[in-house]
Amino acid sequence: MKRTFTYKLNIVLFLLPALILFVGILIAPIIMSAYYSFHEFNLVANTDMEYKGLENYRILFSSMLTNPNTGKLYANSMYLGDALGHSLVLAALSTFIQLPLALIIALKLSKGIRGERAYLSIFFMPVLISTVIIGRLWMNIYDPGQAGLLNAGLRALGIDKWLFPAITNSIKSSKLPFTGQWTGFRETALIAAFIPILWQYVGYHMLLMYAGIKGVPADLLEAAQLDGCTEGQVNRFIIIPYIKPILKVCVIFAVTGSLKSFDLIYALMKDTSRAELPSTLMYKLLFLHQRYGLGSAIAVVLIVLCFLFAVLISFAFRDKGAKVA
Amino acid sequence: MIEARKFKPSNIIVHVLLIILVLINLFPLYWMITFSLKTNDEILGYSYKNEAGERILVPPNHVGLPNHWEWSNYEEAMNTGNMGQYFVNSLAISVSVILITVIASFMATYALTRLVWKGRKVMNKFFMLGLTIPIHAAIVPVFTILSKLKLLNTYAALIFPYAAFALSMGILISVGFMGDIPYDLDEAAFLDGCGVWKIFIRVIAPLMMPAVATVGIYTFLQCWNELLFATIFVSSGKYRTLPVGVQQLFGQYTTRWGPIGAALTIATLPTIIVYIFLSKRIQDSFIAGAVKG
Amino acid sequence: MKKLVALVLAAVMLLSLTSAFAEAEKPTLTLWCIATESDANRPAYEKAIPAVEEALGIKIEWEAFENDSYKTKIKSTSADELPDIFFTWSGAFAGDFAAAEKIYCLDNEFPNYAADLPEVMLQNSTYGGKHYAVPLTMNIVTLFANMDLLKQVGYDAVPTTYEDLIACCDALVAAGIIPFGCSGNATWCVTEYLEPIIEKTIGYEEMNEIFAGRATWNNPAIAEAVDTFQSMITKGYFDPDGLSLDNDTVKANFIAGKYAFYQNGSWNCGEINDAEGNFQAALFPVMNSEKATYGQVIGGPNDALAVSAASKDPDLAAKAAFALGKEICHYGYLAGSGLPAWTPDYDTSAVKPLVADVAKMVAESEGMVLFGDNAMSADPANVYLSYVAKVYGCEIDGAGFIEALANELQ
Repeated sequence: MKRTFTYKLNIVLFLLPALILFVGILIAPIIMSAYYSFHEFNLVANTDMEYKGLENYRILFSSMLTNPNTGKLYANSMYLGDALGHSLVLAALSTFIQLPLALIIALKLSKGIRGERAYLSIFFMPVLISTVIIGRLWMNIYDPGQAGLLNAGLRALGIDKWLFPAITNSIKSSKLPFTGQWTGFRETALIAAFIPILWQYVGYHMLLMYAGIKGVPADLLEAAQLDGCTEGQVNRFIIIPYIKPILKVCVIFAVTGSLKSFDLIYALMKDTSRAELPSTLMYKLLFLHQRYGLGSAIAVVLIVLCFLFAVLISFAFRDKGAKVA
Repeated sequence: MIEARKFKPSNIIVHVLLIILVLINLFPLYWMITFSLKTNDEILGYSYKNEAGERILVPPNHVGLPNHWEWSNYEEAMNTGNMGQYFVNSLAISVSVILITVIASFMATYALTRLVWKGRKVMNKFFMLGLTIPIHAAIVPVFTILSKLKLLNTYAALIFPYAAFALSMGILISVGFMGDIPYDLDEAAFLDGCGVWKIFIRVIAPLMMPAVATVGIYTFLQCWNELLFATIFVSSGKYRTLPVGVQQLFGQYTTRWGPIGAALTIATLPTIIVYIFLSKRIQDSFIAGAVKG
Repeated sequence: MKKLVALVLAAVMLLSLTSAFAEAEKPTLTLWCIATESDANRPAYEKAIPAVEEALGIKIEWEAFENDSYKTKIKSTSADELPDIFFTWSGAFAGDFAAAEKIYCLDNEFPNYAADLPEVMLQNSTYGGKHYAVPLTMNIVTLFANMDLLKQVGYDAVPTTYEDLIACCDALVAAGIIPFGCSGNATWCVTEYLEPIIEKTIGYEEMNEIFAGRATWNNPAIAEAVDTFQSMITKGYFDPDGLSLDNDTVKANFIAGKYAFYQNGSWNCGEINDAEGNFQAALFPVMNSEKATYGQVIGGPNDALAVSAASKDPDLAAKAAFALGKEICHYGYLAGSGLPAWTPDYDTSAVKPLVADVAKMVAESEGMVLFGDNAMSADPANVYLSYVAKVYGCEIDGAGFIEALANELQ
């Protein structure tokens, strides 16, 4: 019995398709990216690789440093600092607004409310729509002209009268008045990008959590009810600790998703600079600036960050889980 | 638990809130479909001079049904936009990716969980690295590799990268499903004289059929929407996918809302219709992934 | 059911594979361009392509892409995937292709057309003494004005001095009319305003030196020009909505009478000329008369067609590129989507008045600076554009602009 199950050639053959794909298209490119990031070259002009050492990383990170001579930030058009800041804000919004919302809906729906299945289906539907389409649809919703749905709604309700001046006053990055250009200012563009993300993915997380809650053993819940626990107490002390592994997955998806997100911003705004994310910055450096080394350096930063956050989140959840148990 | 279904006043509030959320969820789609059938004048508002020479302003019709159903928007999106072709391309690519991912991840999972060898735990961890790696970070090297293999501008330029990036999730899910198949079955088949390949094909693979749907859905979600690879690796219209095609169409009709709305609707409706018919199965498979993963 | 779906899919894939092998009888050339449905050049391409197909007995399969995405697309396409002929901007943009030998040298074919094509028109696409692209039309930045709106505030002509322009804008604002429209969604639209202001402040010679990297950006006069532009923005001369509108919408707003002025490329002449209303073309007034004159313009022969070095029949493609260039120029000039780079050998009495006015400005021009994003190569051009984008939102001032550019580009 043992012999056939350990026969080395078979093991290799079974692993082969997956390994070829995984190593050839994922692991090798990442090693190549790391190698490229210490060089500069131009794919269009076919220039030779020029060794740059850590120069690319210095360029990227110097935008986050203060020049001791002037006391101002180093002037730099590669706003990696901004891009990282934006993706962290996006990650925080996703974790602290989107996930709780998804959890609340999942908790309510999983308790056997009438039409549970229909609600589930509707909330999950936007997940299946292409992000490009959602981006463009929301671009039209935010349109500052006559046709934009959001501004038309605000005008019809008379909210624009006080909301727009209030936003104008709170905008620091620009001297222009706010007249409904949601994607035009740094302060509003990121929120404008978050809303469609929330709209699209709340159902995704909700369904994951719903699945987890449905998996809570019925006798656990009954016992709690017999002990006279209120619904809130059941949620807090039984359900949420029980579905912790799924919550962990949701947080990892939400955070790494924010770091990775590209399609939506790209489709939502033609000029992405006001809500620049690491991935859109990478795209610009690669295909507009034609600086393939510098772009690869951002790719490496992205990979390291995604990995780091995944580990950190796992660690955070493991720690708290141990305390509850 | 039947009592829980009893009428409670607090349930009304819950329903009202849920229905508000449902409306928020559906309204942008309703709006998209209505403006896809309107003329620009109706969407943007317009003015005209009446017989007395006064200018009459007609405000835009934002949320109402179209006054005049402008079906020609669809004709335009179909003809200029080539949406049908792009849809078929996206479908062909997605189906191929799902097939490859399913086969590769089932085989790998079999080796990782059913075959006994040193280092299989490490190998499993190695595959799980792919879960957090952002697909876009590999774009330049994958581009150079594809270019060297002369694979740019083919279906393969997208199929293999998508499959590679879907693999980790596929293995994660398959490990969960395969773990539920009793080991006695392998042993029985072995005693009947089956080799590992025969066991995999005759015993394991048929029992993994539910996993196909689950791996399929997660893979589909990943590759159906992908934009960056699809933009860079494919330049010819023959192999262009739906997201790129839609993006392209937006560039052509920057000021004409009708055809844009029509393109958006054409690109969205087929998935939505399939979803309406299969929503329970899709959700169940999706949930299975969450539980097994 | 499942089997049926699988069968259908297999059939679809098979069909699309076999269709790739289907052969056409005539030699077929592929062409990429940016003449999309909403592009001013579309009609010229639609007329020129059948004419050239007929004349050369070939078939041209062409595809049009949106301007911004085209730039990245063409640069990320590997040499052997490029179509036989493709639209390119001359200057440093095509220079990258020439340096990589991705485009075919046209010196063999050029002499056959030299009679109709002044060599000076090729200077922006000549690298190392060799000609690499066929110019189509040439364009300059033009200040379009809605004379009906100007009349409402008492102006019968477009102001030609800066003081007069400011007075006119103040009068327009007082009358509730927005003076300018500019798209902030596409940064090149902002350069259409900023570059003439810089040119009219520092003069064309200095500006050419800076774009060529031979003079420093650290020039207080540029900071002054940027501050002037921003003062116009903060005084409410620009439609604030423009910040997140695209250029086509801004242009449509101008034509619909929402703005008094619209400064953009002369390729818009035909469309604006044909629109209902009374429009005139002019240039931006002089800011510093010691350094600049009214007749200095931004622009040049900028649109061109290049031939891929990997083309199966580069000589045929070169022939077709010249023929296309000539015809597109011809129909483009008549339609008003550009000024001719080729010497007209056809009846020009039908040229639209607005186009004729701009052609006169070019003929009398006292100095020319190529558009900044074409004059510079990819990296500096995009660094420049990223700061120009910040200028429109008033995120940096003039001093910040020159400091940043001097720091990063020199």
